[in-house]
Amino acid sequence: MRPLRRSVEGEVLGGVCGGLAVRLGLRPRTLRIAAVVSIALGGLGLLLYTALWVLVPTSDESESIGARVLGDRRELQIVLALSTALLALVLALQIFGVSGVGVPMWSLLGASIGLLVVWRGASASETVRLREAVNAAPVFGTGRPVGWRRVALRALVGVGLVIFGVAEMSRVGSLSGAAFGVLVGTAAFAGGFLVLFAPWWVRTLRELATERRERVRAEERADMAAHIHDSVLQTLALVQKAAGDPHEVVRLARIQERELRHWLFDPAMLGRSGDRPGTLAAGAAAIEREIEDTYGVGLELIVVGDCPMDEAVTALLGACREAAVNAAKWSGAPTVSVFAEVESAQVSVFVRDLGRGFDPGAVPGDRQGIARSMVERMGRHGGRVTVTSAPGSGTEVELVLPRVPSGR
Amino acid sequence: MTDGDLLRVFIVDDHALVRSGIRAELGGHVNVVGEADEAGAAVEMILERRPDVVLLDVHLPGGGGRAVLESVVPGAPDVAFLALSVSDAAEDVIDVIRAGARGYVTKTISGPELVDAIRRIADGDAVFSPRLAGFVLDAFADQGPGRTSTPSLDPELDQLTPRERQVLRLIARGYAYKEIALELGISTKTVESHVSAVLRKLQLTNRYQLTHWAHQRQIR
Repeated sequence: MRPLRRSVEGEVLGGVCGGLAVRLGLRPRTLRIAAVVSIALGGLGLLLYTALWVLVPTSDESESIGARVLGDRRELQIVLALSTALLALVLALQIFGVSGVGVPMWSLLGASIGLLVVWRGASASETVRLREAVNAAPVFGTGRPVGWRRVALRALVGVGLVIFGVAEMSRVGSLSGAAFGVLVGTAAFAGGFLVLFAPWWVRTLRELATERRERVRAEERADMAAHIHDSVLQTLALVQKAAGDPHEVVRLARIQERELRHWLFDPAMLGRSGDRPGTLAAGAAAIEREIEDTYGVGLELIVVGDCPMDEAVTALLGACREAAVNAAKWSGAPTVSVFAEVESAQVSVFVRDLGRGFDPGAVPGDRQGIARSMVERMGRHGGRVTVTSAPGSGTEVELVLPRVPSGR
Repeated sequence: MTDGDLLRVFIVDDHALVRSGIRAELGGHVNVVGEADEAGAAVEMILERRPDVVLLDVHLPGGGGRAVLESVVPGAPDVAFLALSVSDAAEDVIDVIRAGARGYVTKTISGPELVDAIRRIADGDAVFSPRLAGFVLDAFADQGPGRTSTPSLDPELDQLTPRERQVLRLIARGYAYKEIALELGISTKTVESHVSAVLRKLQLTNRYQLTHWAHQRQIR
């Protein structure tokens, strides 16, 4: 007679029924049905099944799971500790006189310990097989194809737990009252539900998360590609066309640089006080953009401190803009420096270029007009304008506005 | 003039295009003794070749310009660093200055200006771009009389003198050192010593506002 071995081909769980069938010369299905019936009738079948699972080696291994755990002190300790905890739990339930403790409970305990041993001691290949069995999705499985037996097993266990739970919940009476029964029933019901649907649910969640992440990434990429196309690539094309005109190339590069910088760093700028719309810094930045775009000269803008816009600051910025436009148009200098400083007593703005300069005593009429309008703007708010210039050594316009303490 | 008389300059930048651009701008005015494109290699070569001045990009693979400064400055205090950047982010600029760079200029600086800055750095002076001057003025701004300021541990280091403030303002307005000297009626050497004093304060102050300010400030 051949020795008893658990089968590793076509097994549902531990291959116990398959092995017994070979040993006894019966059909595996007969034994499986017998096993399910005996488990449903009182749990003894379960105990027997796990006992055989632990004690009988599979046909491709020499050592049983139980022997392996016994030979490994660490695993043995884990199993013993958890078994003790389980035993304590069952004893406690018995002390409280809970219904249902009896043969089924003891066989359940034995089976649980057996499963613990299997969990800790199963061989690598068996672990893989078991994990697959546990992960096999039920009826709704959408992932890789799994054997119908696994699905059936999961469905069986799940439905069994749900039925047990419903039965337990609907049972009223008994010594400990209905409360405990409801508790156990609910737990079993929930457990059964989990067994049935968890794999499908987990997989669905995972797929959703992956999909969302990929969609976000794709959108970001598309955004960036669109932006780079609209800005940088277009500008590069313009630069190639304008290669003969260095002035235009510089202008294009400058506009693109400012635009790209803005786009790259804008989110970081949102929290910054300096660029809140409606402040001096924001207004000055607008002038910078305008001058660079319109006249193709660089404007080096430096703002120290900041203050909210009011009528006086608007006038100051207006004068600043005029001075900057003047410098950009007439000085011939490639860059214009604008320095604005907000102090507690005054706001000062300096617009300077290193261009051709002029003799303030002998200015042509049109420029005289501009200077006068600056002086008038500033004068209305108690500010002053000083223009320093000499032919050949650049021009500097100084705008100073006293700050009225406005309850800030 | 032979190569031996020229200042020995080392270029650290991760973009080959920028490195060759800088080389071209420097022309024959300095002796470029080497280039590196990342922090680790830069440290090794700088320690080996001991250039007079290192042009250091703020953003570098391998830890940024700051990592290079931190590894080189203790071992070779005679090597001077000039930070070169397109970033203009206050945080980055303040970071490299605090780590030991003696100056900061933007990459749009013209060739002659860059050569001038390198000479100044090699002479032990500080080079402030208008932008950096603006940053410093902002960071060391006087708290209004109504506001409570953090108690300063070392008032000497934590405040700028009125003269230093004047010099920084003129730098921010786009004045060259010579022009500042003319404007204030002092010598160029005195202007340089004021700027060096500001650099020292910038590097040594433990003023809470400085770091706080730089982090708040983000990109300009």
